[in-house]
Amino acid sequence: MQRQKNWFWLIGVLVVALVSAACGGQQAAQPTAASEQQGSNAAADGKLVIGVAHPDFDDKWLSYLQDGMEQYAATQKDVEVIYVDAMNDASKQLSQVENFVLQKVNAIVLIPVDTVSAPEMVEKAKAANIPIIVVNRQYDGVENATAYVGSESIKAGLMQMEEVSKMLNGKGNVALINGQMGQEAQIKRTEGNKQVIGQNPGIQIVLEGTGEWDRAKGMTLMENWLQSGQKIDAVVSNNDEMAIGAIMALEAVGKLEQTIVAGIDATPDALEYVKSGKLQVTVFQNARGQGESGLATAIKAARGETVEKFTWVPYELVTKDNVDEYIQKWQ
Amino acid sequence: MSSETTTVKKQERIANNSPLKVKSLAFLSRYGMLLILIALVILMSILSPTFFTASNLLNIVKQMSVVGIVAIGVTLVIITTGIDLSSGSVIALVSVVVASLAQPGGMPLFVPIIVGLGLGLLTGVINGTIISKGKIAPFIVTLGMMTAARGAALLYSGGRPIGNLSEPFKFIGQGQIFGIPFPILLFAFVGVITYLLLNKTKFGKRVYAIGGNEQAAMIAGIHIDRVKICIYGYAGLLSALAGIILTSRIASGQPTAGNMYELDAIAAAVIGGTSLSGGIGTIGGTIIGALVIGVMNNGLDLLNVSSYWQQILKGAIITAAVYLDSRKHNRRS
Repeated sequence: MQRQKNWFWLIGVLVVALVSAACGGQQAAQPTAASEQQGSNAAADGKLVIGVAHPDFDDKWLSYLQDGMEQYAATQKDVEVIYVDAMNDASKQLSQVENFVLQKVNAIVLIPVDTVSAPEMVEKAKAANIPIIVVNRQYDGVENATAYVGSESIKAGLMQMEEVSKMLNGKGNVALINGQMGQEAQIKRTEGNKQVIGQNPGIQIVLEGTGEWDRAKGMTLMENWLQSGQKIDAVVSNNDEMAIGAIMALEAVGKLEQTIVAGIDATPDALEYVKSGKLQVTVFQNARGQGESGLATAIKAARGETVEKFTWVPYELVTKDNVDEYIQKWQ
Repeated sequence: MSSETTTVKKQERIANNSPLKVKSLAFLSRYGMLLILIALVILMSILSPTFFTASNLLNIVKQMSVVGIVAIGVTLVIITTGIDLSSGSVIALVSVVVASLAQPGGMPLFVPIIVGLGLGLLTGVINGTIISKGKIAPFIVTLGMMTAARGAALLYSGGRPIGNLSEPFKFIGQGQIFGIPFPILLFAFVGVITYLLLNKTKFGKRVYAIGGNEQAAMIAGIHIDRVKICIYGYAGLLSALAGIILTSRIASGQPTAGNMYELDAIAAAVIGGTSLSGGIGTIGGTIIGALVIGVMNNGLDLLNVSSYWQQILKGAIITAAVYLDSRKHNRRS
């Protein structure tokens, strides 16, 4: 037993050592990365320079957001936009923002890697009197930034449920599938759903559970619900993946025809399900719109004009009628 | 339990003379958890009228097949005082690779299956080799594999799900034979094979011997490295099989699939009476452990218990079940 205890201690120490070594390594590597980027000298030729701190160039959805920015930038004279990729590493993003500050860019657009480390980056920019616009990922205290551009999660839930209640003619039993409990998108999307249900006395929530954003878990949850014998007229899911899981469970017992299924995100997979009529509703978060609007706000702020604190880019409802338009967007 | 009795029991196991007392003890410890499972089933049947139906019971076993198969592999690992944290990530890696190969009009069905199983076997053999030859703690090695395999899955798929799978491939996770879902048959097959491996072969005796006392096993002339590599390889192979079933079930290869499945599998093994200090564990016990988790998940969903409470209740039930079981152990010994 004694020997085993030692063994556990050894593991504990090793884990701590590994983790701290990894973190230390990253921090040490930062200055080199930063000095590379200093090549482009800010505002030397009277152009406005906007620094965009992008969390992940590989993210498909965010690449549309960047497209929106690039398209808008092309219409602007005397504006140079620098994009940097944090590769989903918050500490890397922090040093990239610090680097923008050192370069004295005219404004920064920040798409946070995570919402925990974002406030510190906002502080760095503000301390240097550089306007900073936070895009897409909202957090408590985001009003400290010069402006926020994004979409309100609650709106997605409202829009989704409004369409479902229309399809139900204001009457029926609804099952809600939540994402990972406690996350902003889960809380707000469900809150939006429940607000609409509250206004429709004919609609009741008969079942509610979590599928943790995961298709397999959404499917398992739906299978269990189907076993309960509870009559379900509509399944309203916090995202498309869980909705697809529910569709597969419903299909397996031949109940998909009588059930309305709704998701959020308009992923390429989900759009195929919308096209074939299996998924009735999904909600598209307008990536290009957010990019365009984020960069436009940053340029305005860089010119010293006053900007709106919050710009809400509307969600778009996707149904079988307009699905082709969205399928093209992903191609 | 004092360390002395543990060693005594382990040594008795190694010797495999199985005095009547030890045999009945092992039987009772398995029987104890079976009683708890039966109690849980009765409780759920009272609370929910739709729980105790043939279709729901099949549903529970089908849902637990994936984690159950992983748990069987993990049981072998834990018997040798090891641990495998990489299972969930191996599921994800196998999932995306297999999905990319099982496209309609592509290769015949056996290609993705062989490649998938081979990949799982490879990750397991790498784990086993580093653990035994490198003398590094299994916790660290499999933690490394957990991270690396997840990374590889994301890299391979570009972080996105891979859909559009061929119809024959979907049979593995969605098909039925005589009304019994195919995953259940695979789960039963793996259970029987592993039971025979562990109880009717020399290999099985070596596994228990290493878990009981590694030094003694070495002195007895067992090639510990070889056995360990086989065990981790087998665990990797079963993770891959679980990954193939999951992929077929959700008709999509997902780099985020199998998240935290390793913990469910370890929980199933431990609930089923496998001792984390090694030497003790049975396949029957692990299957019962997996069913306990399955019954809990299903019952709480049927009763529409809030997601917050579900987590608390699951934690409490797992701990309570193991506690009751271990008390039984203590009193008898």
